[in-house]
Amino acid sequence: MATASLIADSTQIAQGAEAVSDPPSRNTTRKVYKAYIHTSFDSDAKVPILLKHRFKKQYRHPSLDANLTRARVAGEARALLRCLRSGVSVPGIRMVDATEGVLGVEWIEGKSVRMLLGGGAEGEEEQVSDSEEFFDDTTDAGGESVSHVDPLDEYQVTIDEIMGLIGSEIAKMHKADIIHGDLTTSNMIIRHPFAAKGPSPTKLVLIDFGLAYTSTLVEDKAVDLYVLERAFASTHPDSEPMLFAVLEAYKKGMYKDWTTVERRLQDVRLRGRKRSMVG
Amino acid sequence: MEVYDYPHFNLQAAICLFTDVKNGPEIRKRIIEAATCQGEEGEALRDAVNFAFVDARLITSILHLQTAVFYALLTQSQGCLRTKTVHSEILWALNPSNNISEAIRRYGISDSTTSLLVIEISVLPSHHDKIKAIVDGTVSPFPRLSEITDWATIKKYHKLNGELAIQHLRDVATAHAMIDEIVVSTVATKSVSQ
Repeated sequence: MATASLIADSTQIAQGAEAVSDPPSRNTTRKVYKAYIHTSFDSDAKVPILLKHRFKKQYRHPSLDANLTRARVAGEARALLRCLRSGVSVPGIRMVDATEGVLGVEWIEGKSVRMLLGGGAEGEEEQVSDSEEFFDDTTDAGGESVSHVDPLDEYQVTIDEIMGLIGSEIAKMHKADIIHGDLTTSNMIIRHPFAAKGPSPTKLVLIDFGLAYTSTLVEDKAVDLYVLERAFASTHPDSEPMLFAVLEAYKKGMYKDWTTVERRLQDVRLRGRKRSMVG
Repeated sequence: MEVYDYPHFNLQAAICLFTDVKNGPEIRKRIIEAATCQGEEGEALRDAVNFAFVDARLITSILHLQTAVFYALLTQSQGCLRTKTVHSEILWALNPSNNISEAIRRYGISDSTTSLLVIEISVLPSHHDKIKAIVDGTVSPFPRLSEITDWATIKKYHKLNGELAIQHLRDVATAHAMIDEIVVSTVATKSVSQ
């Protein structure tokens, strides 16, 4: 099939830095590629896209596998489109082949918030599209770090600014009743200032809507925030002030909806992500 | 005129932008004639206008058109075209709704068309002259597209007037970039839209 041969011609992207030494497919549900779909004969200007391939699972019955793959690709594409229409900063969609399980999105040149905050790069969900030299910056962090530029300086952002952006983007998303389902710092990318497009580029981009769904429930929004809170706590030391800044911005974005979410978030913190089904 | 290669489909797509088109109604008549004519004569007529004619006013960027072309190629390769030819599939992909005749009415050539994008999908597009023989207009470079685009109509067709994404944007250029992104993504998700 055409999409299969497109993937065969694309370069698989290392997901996370240790993939340099490891086999690149640590993630067992999908693979990520860099591809070019519109090659012109007349000019060399090539724009890459990112292909996300949910490959066939041998352990599932073929027809069930086809159905699930189709539904998930379609779901992710729809969630992205909904986000775009609601003004949430997400990558644009370039192609969808639900039968083959392929989703093609805009290529974003940048680094995940996780990497910028020095949280390492062992994340399985890592989908960062770094060029080689950025890669080296993080992999040999143990070496002569004196000569290295602070990534925050290179990206011209401060930690406070990043936290503010995270909060306001999540607020925009929740106001549109979209629940991300997997909010972690590796699913947020800061666009490289040199790769910024348009007159007032969005710096922070939310990615990986594979677990996203729509819901108006306060519970779901609170759990979404709680997942982020736990992700912060487990990957970044001294996460409390950062989280505080995120929630401040979120509060501003949500206006009067904040109080109900806040109350619920406190409940969720006490009991955990799963609501008890007893009684 | 630019030619794009799609090696995975074994096909190429030639895209040509015409401005100051003077014979819009005539082209339209020719297409309808070719479509209704039968027999060998009909084949010859159809072969002469075997292109996609897209009203350039409704195209936000060349990526917008490319995305529709890619969509058409993909559905053709899977054998699930919703319309009769790969060329009409491009028009159908551009329109946000599922209605084929509406897609052709809106995005196809009309009597008021003055700027036109002509697309040819084939194994080896070699008919530069063939396209130029049909359209009476000036061949223009793609960047001129931004002067032609009719943003108000695009917003109406894609129901973007009430959307949060562009409501708060004061800057015209930013708003246009945003609309372009939404429109391109809408075309790309055509196969999974409800």
